[in-house]
Amino acid sequence: MLKHFKHRFALLILLLMIGTILAACNKDDDKELSDPNESTSTDVSETDDGEEDASVDSGPKDGGTIVGAMYSAPAGMFNPIFYEEAYEANILDFTHEGLVTQNEKLEFISSLAEKWEVNDDQTEITFFLKEGVKWHDGEDFTADDVVYTYQAMSDPEYENAGGVRVNYVAPLLGYEAYQSGETDVFEGVVADGDYKVTFKFAEPNVSPLYYASFPIIPEHIFSSISVKDIPEAAESKDPGKVIGTGPFKFTDMIEREQYILERNEDYWQGAPHLDSIVWKVVAQSVMIGLLEKGEIDFVASPGGIAPADHDIVADFGNIEIIEQADFGYQLMGFKLNHRTTADVESGALNPDNWVPNKKLSDPKVRQAIAHAVNRQGLVGSGHGEGLLHGRGQPINSPIAQQMWAYDESSATAYEYDPDKAGQILDDLGYVDVTGDGFREDPEGKEWILNFDYPTGNELRERSAPILQSDLENVGIKVNLRQPAEMSVYVPGLTDDNTDWDLYLIGWSLSSTDPDPAGLWATKAGYNFSRWNSPTSEELMQKAVKAPDAFDQDYRSKVYAEWQKHFSEELPALLLYAQNSLWAYNDRIQGIKILPHSMYQDAHEWWVEDAE
Amino acid sequence: MYQYIIRRILQFIPMLLALSIIVFGLAKAAPGDPFSGKILDPEVGMEVYEKQRAELGLDKPIPVQYLRWAGKIVQGSFGESITYKGRSVESLIKERFLNTVYLGLFALFITLLVAIPIGIYSARHPYSLLDYGSTTFGFFGLAVPNFFFGLVVIYLFSIKLGWFPAQGTLSSNKLTGFAEFQDRIHHMILPGLTLGLASTASYMRYMRSEVMDVLGSDFIRTAKAKGMSNNNVLYKHTLRNALIPVITLLGMELGPLLGGAIITEQVFNFPGIGTLFIGSVINRDYPVVMAITLLLGVAILVGNLLADIFYSVVDPRIRYD
Repeated sequence: MLKHFKHRFALLILLLMIGTILAACNKDDDKELSDPNESTSTDVSETDDGEEDASVDSGPKDGGTIVGAMYSAPAGMFNPIFYEEAYEANILDFTHEGLVTQNEKLEFISSLAEKWEVNDDQTEITFFLKEGVKWHDGEDFTADDVVYTYQAMSDPEYENAGGVRVNYVAPLLGYEAYQSGETDVFEGVVADGDYKVTFKFAEPNVSPLYYASFPIIPEHIFSSISVKDIPEAAESKDPGKVIGTGPFKFTDMIEREQYILERNEDYWQGAPHLDSIVWKVVAQSVMIGLLEKGEIDFVASPGGIAPADHDIVADFGNIEIIEQADFGYQLMGFKLNHRTTADVESGALNPDNWVPNKKLSDPKVRQAIAHAVNRQGLVGSGHGEGLLHGRGQPINSPIAQQMWAYDESSATAYEYDPDKAGQILDDLGYVDVTGDGFREDPEGKEWILNFDYPTGNELRERSAPILQSDLENVGIKVNLRQPAEMSVYVPGLTDDNTDWDLYLIGWSLSSTDPDPAGLWATKAGYNFSRWNSPTSEELMQKAVKAPDAFDQDYRSKVYAEWQKHFSEELPALLLYAQNSLWAYNDRIQGIKILPHSMYQDAHEWWVEDAE
Repeated sequence: MYQYIIRRILQFIPMLLALSIIVFGLAKAAPGDPFSGKILDPEVGMEVYEKQRAELGLDKPIPVQYLRWAGKIVQGSFGESITYKGRSVESLIKERFLNTVYLGLFALFITLLVAIPIGIYSARHPYSLLDYGSTTFGFFGLAVPNFFFGLVVIYLFSIKLGWFPAQGTLSSNKLTGFAEFQDRIHHMILPGLTLGLASTASYMRYMRSEVMDVLGSDFIRTAKAKGMSNNNVLYKHTLRNALIPVITLLGMELGPLLGGAIITEQVFNFPGIGTLFIGSVINRDYPVVMAITLLLGVAILVGNLLADIFYSVVDPRIRYD
């Protein structure tokens, strides 16, 4: 009897296990069979309509908690002037604010500043601050806080303490003297009374609002702590001690698991509807299950939903998906020049010493390579196709598509055309003379392109062998090397006194100003191609030169010229811009979708099932 | 005996010193540094990190850096983490240490609770249905990758049935006392099962073969011939002898247990030493890497010492002078 029972029990367990596996398989099959066109994702305008309808029959309700997911825990630095990671930004976006913020057209609009005036030569911008704004601890927000924030970022100890946001303060008047400790007088940002503050720049500035957009930290909290000690201070790390002006307060956490934001009753734009927002750290592999179950209400950048999962999530029915182009792109770069060993050792970026990389120095060769690569194939045109399942697009210009400066028409679009690629290479004399199926260079010597790429971004990693086969299709021999983790890859990419030819990298661009000089100026460290083009240099400088550049149309025109030049010179082939896929449970109402964020005006979020 | 223990402990010092030199050298020999893997941000120039490198002395020769690090250790501090700005290494390890210990002990508890009785049963009734069942389970447990088993139990028991939480170690800070304890156990069951699966399988097999071995030996036959009851033979004579090799295994388990379980921790977002360690290796967070390596080194040495001491407890023939 007992033996019989055991037998049955074992059988039961076995059945249960098989059943589970089958059920899991079945589920996936269903999803794959479903028509990808049926996706319930909505574009921005549709979402807006839906919200209006809902708010007609029932107005916003107070109360309720929503749960957001992020895939990795924040490092724990909740001070805007010292944080570095997007995971910390997820919390700081709700707790801290700057003088200005950006709207859906990426124009700067008022936030903590009511209005502003710019002087004629754009060397000064004066902000009139909102009155009655209170910090989370009840103190008044004043001009002193603005001065303090920028002064702290200019402090001689700021960089040694781990601060990296110096580009916001570097153009300020007297920055270098103050930063080097020559003087104690900080001239860059000056308060006039409690609610008037002036930013002074050393040179006429074409985008003063960008420099003034940094989140403000409270002077009354930090002024007693030396800048060197701010990262260690509880006021930078601990819930309840982190003070901002935002709609939510950071009140509690279970470190590396949960981060709890609670309503700021005294918020200057009105108390938020939601009681609290909880950020949970969850493994990417289980996030979708939790989203379906309702344990997670929203997920956004960084990460969002993987392109392959889009259709599965769309089928849940109660999840809204926001699909928008990301501010950034992936590229396959060409090492046009290498540095000398002496320069690498001394860290010098001196274009005069650069050694041209003969394998790639002819722009026509680079154009042939561009024709040989099936970029649309990488993106795909729907679920199950390409690496991106159609969630992205090939791009031709290295300026973010959402920007006013972006001009698709000025850039050359290199169509996928292996025959044309072959033709160009034939004409240049790159033909196969040894009969091994691969082309030799015009002198008849071996022509092998070394191809390096990093790990870390799975889709990018998978694109490398595809690119290799695209190039080998037209007879270009590619030596695809082992991928390296980022901390090894980037030094190799930087210290380029080696034999690198092709490389992969991705850039996430700023939503504030389109100036590409940080990535493509000849002497920029991030100009990994070591692109040295006087024309490009001239155009980039022209685009930010006062006073012509005060006119945005003028800048647009110059950038259009630059984009044309870039696409002809082709220091890098832009592969694709991936779409960001954010998702939220449709019980949340009032979410405002901006190209760069969905967290703005979170005080207006509400849930229908609030009690 | 005490002399022996003291002698063993004194031996730890040169061993740990050698360990620290080797690991420090290896860590520095790996290409890259704490700043080279930072997310490339066009708004943050590469030059910014040069000052921080100099501030940390990363531009100095490796022996100088080692002495700088060792100097801090002598003063009783592991220094500050580089990746986690403004955090001491101690606070980072402390934050995860208890999670790791609880999870490890819980998994070990499950392992022993399941493996020893089943192992004994299988040995006494070889080729019975349960024996076959446990053998099958044993191979299954060893063969299934941790992360897959983890995902299956999450899908089944958390998402479909909703019996257990899928992620984390605690629902809310508001829980205290017994409610908190209960909640922590609740969170620990799935990761504990996942972590314990493979070792349960191997301990079970171990236990089975050891008990069978001992049961077949002469002194057991003698005991039985003297008319001892089966249970008496089993608990008084067999188990003691069969446990000796298992104790060796357990002693070696202490290191890995404190080292955390990287994959299980990641699948269940259970913040422990394992993910901290792998993260700091990837980020070249040297102070954290060194601290955890030393911690593991101590754990392994102590584990082996404890195993040796326990030998003499279970087996009176073993004596240390």
